[in-house]
Amino acid sequence: MIDGINLIVKRGKTILDIATENGIYIPNLCHHPDLVPSGNCRMCMVEVEGMRGQIIACKTPVEDGMIIRTESQEISLIRQTTLELIHANHTQDCTNCYKNNQCKLQEVTAYVGVDEKRLNSLRRTKPIIEEDGSNPFFTLDHNKCIMCGICIRTCDEVQGTNALDYGYRGFETVVSTFGNRPIKESVCESCGECVVRCPVGALYPKEEKLPTREIKSVCVYCGVGCNIYFGIRDNKLVSAKGDKNSIVNKGRLCVKGRFGYKFVNHPERLTKPLIKKNGEFVESKWDEALDLVAKKFSVSKGNKFATLSSAKIPNEDNYVIQKFTRAVMGTNTIDHCARLCHAPTVAGLVQSFGSGAMTNSIDEFTNASTIFSIGSNTTAAHPIIGLHIKEAKRRGAKIIVANPKEIDLCRFADIHLQQLPGTDVVLLMGMMKVVVDENLEDSEFIKERCENYDEFIKSLNEFDLDTCEKITRVPKEKIIEAARSYATNKPSSLVFAMGITQHSHGTDNVLAISNLAQLTGSVGKESSGVNPLRGQNNVQGACDLGALPNVYPGYQKVTAPEVQEKFEKYWEVKLNPDNGLTHTEIFDQIEKGQIKSLYQVGENPVLSEADANHVKKALDKLDFFVVQDIFLTETAKYADVILPATSFAEKDGTFTNTERRVQRVRKLVEPPGEAKDDWWITCEIAKRLGGSGFNYNTAEDIMNEINEVTPIYGGIKYDRIDEVGLQWPCPDENHPGTKFLHKDRFSRQGGKGKFFPLTYKASVELPDKEYPLILTTDRSLYHFHTSTMSRRVKGLESLNKEELLLINPRDANQMNLKNGEFVTVKSRRGTVRVKTNITEICPKGVVSLTFHFHETPTNELTICAIDPVSKIPETKVCAIKVEKIDHK
Amino acid sequence: MERSEILKQFEPANENMLNILHALQNNNSQNYLSEEDIKIAANYLNTTYSHIYGVVTYYTMFSLKPRGKYIIRVCNSPVCNMENSTKVIEEIKRFLSIEVGETTDDKRFTLELSECLGRCGKAPGMMINEDVIGNLDNVDFKSIFENYN
Amino acid sequence: MIQEKRITLKNLGKINPESIDDYINVGGYKAFEKTVGRHHIEIIDEMVKSSLRGRGGAGFSAGLKEKFTSEACLRCEQKYLICNADEGEPGTFKDRIIMENDPHLMLEGMLIAAYAIGASKAYIYIRGEYYKSIDRINKAISAAKEKGIIGKNVFGSAFSVDVEVKLGAGSYLCGEELTLLESLEGKRGYPRIKPPYPAEYGLYGKPTLINNVETLATIPTIIEKGSDWYTSLGTENSPGTKIFTISGDVNKPGYYETEMGITLRELIYELAGGIKDGKAFYAAILGGAAGTFVNESVLDTPMGFDTLKEKGAVLGSGAIMVMSEGRSLFDMTNSILEFFKHESCGKCVPCRIGMPQLLHIMENLKNNKIGRIEALDLLLYESEFMAKSSLCPLGQSPILPIKSLKQYFENEF
Repeated sequence: MIDGINLIVKRGKTILDIATENGIYIPNLCHHPDLVPSGNCRMCMVEVEGMRGQIIACKTPVEDGMIIRTESQEISLIRQTTLELIHANHTQDCTNCYKNNQCKLQEVTAYVGVDEKRLNSLRRTKPIIEEDGSNPFFTLDHNKCIMCGICIRTCDEVQGTNALDYGYRGFETVVSTFGNRPIKESVCESCGECVVRCPVGALYPKEEKLPTREIKSVCVYCGVGCNIYFGIRDNKLVSAKGDKNSIVNKGRLCVKGRFGYKFVNHPERLTKPLIKKNGEFVESKWDEALDLVAKKFSVSKGNKFATLSSAKIPNEDNYVIQKFTRAVMGTNTIDHCARLCHAPTVAGLVQSFGSGAMTNSIDEFTNASTIFSIGSNTTAAHPIIGLHIKEAKRRGAKIIVANPKEIDLCRFADIHLQQLPGTDVVLLMGMMKVVVDENLEDSEFIKERCENYDEFIKSLNEFDLDTCEKITRVPKEKIIEAARSYATNKPSSLVFAMGITQHSHGTDNVLAISNLAQLTGSVGKESSGVNPLRGQNNVQGACDLGALPNVYPGYQKVTAPEVQEKFEKYWEVKLNPDNGLTHTEIFDQIEKGQIKSLYQVGENPVLSEADANHVKKALDKLDFFVVQDIFLTETAKYADVILPATSFAEKDGTFTNTERRVQRVRKLVEPPGEAKDDWWITCEIAKRLGGSGFNYNTAEDIMNEINEVTPIYGGIKYDRIDEVGLQWPCPDENHPGTKFLHKDRFSRQGGKGKFFPLTYKASVELPDKEYPLILTTDRSLYHFHTSTMSRRVKGLESLNKEELLLINPRDANQMNLKNGEFVTVKSRRGTVRVKTNITEICPKGVVSLTFHFHETPTNELTICAIDPVSKIPETKVCAIKVEKIDHK
Repeated sequence: MERSEILKQFEPANENMLNILHALQNNNSQNYLSEEDIKIAANYLNTTYSHIYGVVTYYTMFSLKPRGKYIIRVCNSPVCNMENSTKVIEEIKRFLSIEVGETTDDKRFTLELSECLGRCGKAPGMMINEDVIGNLDNVDFKSIFENYN
Repeated sequence: MIQEKRITLKNLGKINPESIDDYINVGGYKAFEKTVGRHHIEIIDEMVKSSLRGRGGAGFSAGLKEKFTSEACLRCEQKYLICNADEGEPGTFKDRIIMENDPHLMLEGMLIAAYAIGASKAYIYIRGEYYKSIDRINKAISAAKEKGIIGKNVFGSAFSVDVEVKLGAGSYLCGEELTLLESLEGKRGYPRIKPPYPAEYGLYGKPTLINNVETLATIPTIIEKGSDWYTSLGTENSPGTKIFTISGDVNKPGYYETEMGITLRELIYELAGGIKDGKAFYAAILGGAAGTFVNESVLDTPMGFDTLKEKGAVLGSGAIMVMSEGRSLFDMTNSILEFFKHESCGKCVPCRIGMPQLLHIMENLKNNKIGRIEALDLLLYESEFMAKSSLCPLGQSPILPIKSLKQYFENEF
């Protein structure tokens, strides 16, 4: 009973929880529902009958029959006196404060009141502490800080970063970084969660204006698909706020999600079609550009034509683009950057499970007992999934990280397996050997739900642990420990990313993972499965909607006559029965003169493709090259026509995130200049080439067509996903979507999972005398892919403005390298110049680069050795040498 | 001693945090915890730098500034204060020509104040490193400090 | 003539503190040997019956604390015993005397308590400045380990135990038991919020018993001689003996262990040799900084937890700071408040900002901006509010000296 109102309550909740739920206001300053109560503001004092004095509501659990008073003369006096003390040490200038009128201290003061007379007697001049404005996105003003500790607890409990902590003690206590240095010099990841939660104006965002309205949409960076309320003012995006009700991100965002939208407003956005005339781009009218494109495309139909679609644009756009390629241009040669990231995942998991997507949902991670992250720099590339893993850790889960580098996630790992790049099959098979030798396998699962087990078991023989240790360099004790934990401490969930796929044996790696999951019965269950983390915001959707050379939308096979017939009937056109070419094969065929015209939407292969010099040479050979994009990328410079597209902020549609959740993307602002939606542009080209069935009025029209031809998307309707997205398969309008895959039966034909015998295949280019180091590639938290968007955000650029070669101190010493000096990195294919970062993150013999910086085109070094099954190039392993630059 | 040798004496468990910091500080020739010391302790204990920074700045026995070979801790608690510790402090300041918190130019002495050292029976008292010296109201500081070289 | 009655200091001066054989020769570790042969509930019952009250200052029943910890969970994988040797209350040095002079007695008490509650791991949290105590205790632990008194299956029983010394690093507040736990976990000395109590949620969330050095050092004798013998000493509500540490203006400052119920007058004039320089008694502060001022009207009150409480005073740690005529109450109060401000952790608002405010009132009084009566009333108002709203005992401490000033010295402050 609170204040005379009888309430039925759940055990385990606090008085403050219950009061808040029932609309009873108890003033508080240091409370946040996500955080462990700390009880330091002393505002939420209440009285409980039978208990002495006043107690704090935020920390006291409710009990049966409790009679609680939230108000009394005594309570008011205590609150007021405490509040006066806080005010005595708080900057008085509210009118110039960012938080004015949204400040929690103001709110509490309005409720509690202060006695100005006492307050004045308490106030005295205090030395002003200088603001910390070092972070490009926000400022810390100690003079407004009320020491509630929410920022500190958030940084620790939510973000696991602990960039901020309390420093010093007593009256001198401050929110401090290590060494009390500027925030920018700390380990702060600039996620901005502390800024959002600061109850007063002590942490406030820079360059952000209060929006006049907010619209919910989806983040355009990675595949997690965080839901964001974007703030809009004067047709500009001015703020971003995580959607607290989102099952995906629970209100949290990473630095790119929170601050990375600013590229939308960038002055370099393309606003008019450009046609190259005498080597120069000249602005043109839409009609002129579209007519020219149609004319040129008309002479290279069939196998002279190729499309590269985009994993950044919505499902609807991808659908239209593949339809155009197939129905109008008469070829299945359409591919996109998924080829360079998760092609082996699809190739591998379709063979073993029947479906290439994440088997589980993101929010299932928190309930896993073991999480095994292999080949994924999760906290940098998928920061919000990283948070889910950290939360699981806090709930007691064991975390196993397998990564050649000491990545950030290792801080949370119980076991770190530091395998040599390219030896994952050996590591995983070694673990499976332990599982089998120690009888830890799930025999029932294997018997009931899998096939080909006996063949697989034979292949395990060659992986005795001594061999595994020798090849992988992981001590066998660790392999054993990891195997036991994964096999026994269930539910076990496995996550992986590019570290598994980008190898010449990438499909084998994926099959090894699916073997391990089947062997231990760790798939097809809640919080237990195989989870490839998709990189781009809509790479899942681009695959789902058929921007692939071998499947129509919904993974329906190009070579299956009944499928072809179905689409011919629906699109009223004759279709090509042969699989098209893949991403890498397209460039080979361009170089050979076979493909004459390339239609490229929003990709940047000059930076992203392995052996990039090869790509440049190929692009020079094209007869006609159309690029459709939002910025003039490094690749667009090679184009004959550039068509200005709308960004995610200017269009309606859907993105499908890594957990197969189809979510609504909404138009937030008007496009710059004459930029147009991708689907509109493609339709205009199609219509000029005589295509029929391209008369859509809205993105929703396209989704309605998708529903009809794509069984897994059959029931995904805009009105159903207005609030929360649906996870495919969702075959009809009554289907609730699918939280995790392969429950009871695998989606593979016959319903059984399949084991695959495997052997160790070394990476194609191993280090030798001339090129003694292994180069592996990685991602930075602050940038995305080739940084077309992220480097156009000033703050992101300032947090990470140049490429750094990560190199182990022992390797650096051998070459007498200094930290931060420029060196040359050479492979058999190219040379780049880059500064060093000497660090233990890389083991001896392995160096690492990202590919975010056009000044340091890392992919000019990488090797285009192709996985025979999935055609992915081996961007994770090549041999290089580092040379000191002679400055004389 | 190498820092790694010191760390080896302790299990990497939280309850050893303060013992480890003491050991690293004692091992530091300048009697303080350098940023390197903190980083190494943090890595060993699998915690963050800022967490240990918070710990180090909380406890008065740890210093982030280099200190002298000998740390003089004069008790300034109520009993010693009543027995004129203020005068003792002034005399030491004059004798060593340093303020509280400072280190003599020859890096021999650092003067600090301390809360009750549990020597109230012999107030006013102080410690010089591990030695306790009481009844300071009428002593010749010269003869005391001479013993510390 | 009143005599000391020594239990925790019984071996003082009679044995070499660094010799475990000396300790064993005077009957040491017999009680522990006897203990491991008995059911742990018997030991707890004996302790409950002895009515021993915690000697750290709060005076809670040591036996009940053992009982609660023992019963907290029956199948716990881990329970802890912690010896609170973070002595820092101004005017108090009893724990140091025990640790320096008879470390094994305290260790034996710990081992008995550990057995009683089923703790296989025990820590001694000693303040970092107590170098000699640290050294003596470490030596005692090593010696006891060598003799198999600490270790696996002690005295052939099923009981195994390990004891380790952990150092404090300069924080008075870490002597508060919940803050001590945080400190022991390698954190800043920020207090935890009660409940939960350590008996149910202690070190690393496991059931934990925390006892003061003097409390633990009393246990072996209680087990040896029985609770009846123990309760025959002292007063009804405060049985047994207590070490009083007397400092300030007396002729023989030092430590004195006597039965409870002795009066302040006896302590000062008979044991401590009376007031220095033949002056008159003016005031005493009982229990340390977090203690109370008393005047001569309390001189004949028997020392005990409840008897002093009736007089608005506290026994606390047993510290007695004596002030003779001519001493300044203002200076003493100021010094106490400076101490609190220095030791405030800064976690909660009332203590962090309130402490400097109290000193500000003192400063205003010193500068004659306000009068004595007004100043005392302001101090009382602010400290009373702090007592009600602060998170831990530190913020609740200034009220003790200030309220007693008002009670005993309203016109002289």
